Amino acid sequence: MIPVIQSLIDATSAGAVYALAALGIGLVFGVLRLANFANGEIITGAGYALVLLWPLSWPLALAASVLVAIGLSLLMDLAVFRWMRSQSPAALLIASFGVSILLQRAFEGIFGVNVRSGAVAPALTKSVNVGGLRLSLLAIVAIVLAALLLLAVHLFLTRSRMGLQVQAAAADFREARILGIRSGAVIAVTLGMSGLLAAAVAFVLTAQSGSVNPSFGVQVTVFGLIGAVIGGLNRIGGALVGGFAVGFSLSLFTTWLPAGLGDFRVAFVYLLVIIVLVIVPNGIFAGRTAKERA
Amino acid sequence: MMSSDTRRSPRLGWSVPQPVLSLWTLAVPLVVVWLFSSAASRLSPAASIDLGYALATLIIVVAMWTFIGNSGVLSFGHIAFVAVGAWTMSLLTISPTVKSSIMPNLAPFLADTTLDPYVALLVAAAVGGLTAIISGFALMRLHGLEAGIATFALLMLVVQILTYWDAIGPRSGQSMTGVPRSFDLQSTLLIALIVIVIAWGYGQSVSARMLRASRESVQAAPASGISITWHRIIAFAVSGALAGVGGAMWAQANRVVQASQFGLDFTFTTIAMLVIGGMLSLWGAVVGTLLISAMNHVMGLLENGVQIGGFIVSLPSGSRLVAVAAFMVFIIIFRPSGITGGREVRWPFLSRDPFSQRRVQRLAQRS
Repeated sequence: MIPVIQSLIDATSAGAVYALAALGIGLVFGVLRLANFANGEIITGAGYALVLLWPLSWPLALAASVLVAIGLSLLMDLAVFRWMRSQSPAALLIASFGVSILLQRAFEGIFGVNVRSGAVAPALTKSVNVGGLRLSLLAIVAIVLAALLLLAVHLFLTRSRMGLQVQAAAADFREARILGIRSGAVIAVTLGMSGLLAAAVAFVLTAQSGSVNPSFGVQVTVFGLIGAVIGGLNRIGGALVGGFAVGFSLSLFTTWLPAGLGDFRVAFVYLLVIIVLVIVPNGIFAGRTAKERA
Repeated sequence: MMSSDTRRSPRLGWSVPQPVLSLWTLAVPLVVVWLFSSAASRLSPAASIDLGYALATLIIVVAMWTFIGNSGVLSFGHIAFVAVGAWTMSLLTISPTVKSSIMPNLAPFLADTTLDPYVALLVAAAVGGLTAIISGFALMRLHGLEAGIATFALLMLVVQILTYWDAIGPRSGQSMTGVPRSFDLQSTLLIALIVIVIAWGYGQSVSARMLRASRESVQAAPASGISITWHRIIAFAVSGALAGVGGAMWAQANRVVQASQFGLDFTFTTIAMLVIGGMLSLWGAVVGTLLISAMNHVMGLLENGVQIGGFIVSLPSGSRLVAVAAFMVFIIIFRPSGITGGREVRWPFLSRDPFSQRRVQRLAQRS
């Protein structure tokens, strides 16, 4: 029984991180129809800020990581995506691929190809034993941080005037604009929120590994993007659940696959993704609003 | 898109029959590829080596066009078929002694077989096509971004299997070395030209026309009795087989094959070529590939350092990919349908009378 609970806790904390990544991607997709692959480089940028500045002063590092993430998010929209608002989601995705590669090389140029390491929040690496369960502080922090941010995003989206405008824009951008929603502000707020979520992901991941390299954010973004798609890109909540599901199953496969198949854990996740999409082509929570976007 | 009527040329006073207009869209790409290759192979030894890669990449991009261009559905998974083709080629042409030393757990029928390179090439095409058919039945019901993500998942699935399954390859992502160089530049060029002919021929087929109809309107095509899923599977299979050929040619140009080579960067580079050229036309696939390949070659020279005047100019390594990425972002913003505008080569001796010009423009606006 203990190993089962243990693996569920580990899987929840892994799922929480991917859920944050997927939510950031899902929010932006909802408003801009942009499946932003370059979200990974926002995470990487925030990661560099954390690792390099933490030894100087941790509040500075936290603030810098959030600023870098939001700044990068706004900057890439300003430089690239705002010029192609009317294009298809597929074209936007391809362009974001390009932006991702450009930024990765920029990081290489600035910080070098090699891993930069530094202890981020070293206190969190401790773990406590509770009745045979090994609870790592970081796992708890990851879960709590994700829950708090999700709650904050949820409250913002449902209770605040701006949040409602973002939701309206996500449902139907053109109609929302006709009804007098300030599109520029909505887009900026959405990008800012996705930047904030990326910074949170970067915090948990750098605290886990203590190092950053130019392709640091790619893997979590790939899984976050996939999670957002299988959850249903038309629903902001769907992205969240999809991202969680991907992280959760990845962690469970890692723990429970028999020795001979352990190498194939990632393959099983991708197989699962294909199966889900074949069963529900528009994502699990696409709902009735799902329509042809080919 | 080609129009189906013949065009009258007032200057010459005779009408150009449709087959000539169609064949023109094949002849120009073939001649351009041939001219490009003869020029590059005479330039320098380094250019000849890069030409081998360029022709293999050309096959891959043309294969991608066969599906993406005709169906309008984005596939991030074609490198999976390339990987399968490269794997087949390597396993069937590396000598058994080398195989037994680097791949001790290889399945017996693979360990003992060595085939003629041309037979291996056909097997690679078959394996690529088969993989595409099998996955196509699952994936071809999807549209838009979901299709893109699902095909990407297919790529990752295949790469993971090739990395870890040691009955069909080396242990845990190690590389397969000793792929013999079986094709010289001449035969590589010939194979590339044949692939272009096949892709073009497929584009002329009824199935491809129906698929293009579905690309223009996903709602109207089924209403006219077109089974989109079925024609997509056919396109996916043809394109998978050609991608398998591309993978085989890439393997023998590179001589070393490793699962990790077939990932995001490869996918990105090939898709960028297709997008830059214009992904709706075969001509676009050819133009994009040749242009980026030439650019890659020049960038490669600059990375090694080139003396211009009294200065030695050298770029940091990795600037090739940056240039491709920047160029692609630029093209997507300013010319979303690519350099060729997604059109095939047009017959140059068409009537220039204003009526025809305006009519063409009006038709273009309506579509």
